[in-house]
Parts: sequence; C-alpha cells; structure tokens
Amino acid sequence: MVENRLYELSGETLIINLPEELDHHVAQKLRQQTDYLFISKRIRNVIFNYEKTSFMDSSGIGLVMGRYREVRYLKGNIYLVNINPKMKRVIEISGLYKVAKRTDDVHSALEEIVEMAKV
Amino acid sequence: MNKFNDHMAVEFDSVSRNESFARVVVAAFAARLNPTLEEIADIKTAVSEAVTNSVIHGYEDEKGTIRIEACIVEDTISVIVTDRGVGIEDVNKAMEPMYTSKPELERSGMGFAFMEAFMDELFVESKVGQGTVVTMRKVIGKGEDKWNDKIK
Repeated sequence: MVENRLYELSGETLIINLPEELDHHVAQKLRQQTDYLFISKRIRNVIFNYEKTSFMDSSGIGLVMGRYREVRYLKGNIYLVNINPKMKRVIEISGLYKVAKRTDDVHSALEEIVEMAKV
Repeated sequence: MNKFNDHMAVEFDSVSRNESFARVVVAAFAARLNPTLEEIADIKTAVSEAVTNSVIHGYEDEKGTIRIEACIVEDTISVIVTDRGVGIEDVNKAMEPMYTSKPELERSGMGFAFMEAFMDELFVESKVGQGTVVTMRKVIGKGEDKWNDKIK
C-alpha cells in the first residue's frame, strides 16, 4: 500500500490518510471527495488515519459523524487509527468514540474488519 | 515573567482558507506568554471554531470581514472575534452541545462547546442583523495540570 495517498480502497473499506490540519476549509473538500467515492464505490467501512494530523477542530468531528451516518445503513464501522495525544483530547471531548472504533493503526483496523466479516 | 500588557488586531475576508491564518496569528501572539504545546493547541482550536462560525453562519459563505482582537494582561490572553453578519437569534440554543442550524453542512454542533472546553471563559453577544462578538479568555501557565485533571 502506498502510504502517502489521501484515499486508499481495500475491499469495501475506504482508508482516508488525513492531512496535517483538519479544519472546516479542509473538511469541506474531503466531504465532496468522499461523497463522490461513496457514490462510485461500494464502501462499508471507513478508516480515518490520523498519522500525519496535528490539528482538528469540530469540523473534523462533523466529517467523521457524516461518514458514520452513511456506513451504519450497511452495518459497517468507522475506525480512528494512529491517534496521537493532541487528537486524543479533541476526540475524547467530542464523544466520537460512541460512534467510532479505535485501533492502533490501519493494519489492525483491517484485521478487525476481516474478523468481523467471519462472524 | 509573563508581565506583558499587549494588544493586537487583524481583519480579514470571511473565507474558509483564512481559518488557518487566524489561528496561527493568534497562536503567534500568544507565544510570548510562553505557553505549553497544549495551551497553544487549545487557543488554535478555539479561534478556529469562532472564525468558522463567522464564515459559515455569520456571513453564510458570502463576502464579509472578520476582525480579531487579542490582548494580553499579565498571564491572561483575551481573544475577541467579531463579525457583522446575520447574528444569532437565540444564543443559548446555539451554544447547546450538538445543536446546529446547518446539519446539511455536516456541522457537528460542537463549536461553542469546544470554545468552552479549551478556554477558561467564553462570552457570546449577538444581535440579529448586526453581527456577533465572541470573547474568550485563557490563563496561561496553569493549563496543563488542569487538563490532566479534566481528562481523568
């Protein structure tokens, strides 16, 4: 897998390698692009990879919640991975973990998705 | 240390790319208080929320001017974000966590909640048709411990 691409598709799972800053300006672009991907591909799970991200405000929370609304109809899941301490604070205050799962990295999220498909 | 009495003001167009400009300017101004990385992150998030509100709600993506004033008195930074946009009809309702007047734009409704969480004080004044003034204060130099308490 090429790590520096913004979007990657693994089966029915969309991986979004988030940029360094995730504010309203960036979130509205990502929303347009992911909306297009949701129309053109079958996407059941979304992995938000925060590896490079050092800033997120409530617009980023809105982006995750919006994707959650889309995948829950297909009984899919949202994963938040590579959460650094800065992101941890924002995510905890927002209550995002009520709708999203957290794993260490992209690989472990993909493994969990495979396991869940077996059940 | 920390005995500054400083003031700055900046005005810019109400466009989303200025959200990052605004938070970086205020963070740079706050830097003279020698804040921790956490405190800088808190200020950046709060400023980003206030400016985003002005862009999306105040001017509803139309042309407008946003003004930021900040002052430092001893160890406290105050940030005032002003727009002359549509104003807020019911400020209390707007400040409720999870409430948003624009769900179609995927707003999380957490803007004011984040400003409250990341700053020590928050005041919102608004008049319909005249605009909104958001005033936030934060004491620098005691934030880190307070934060750790809050999370646990």
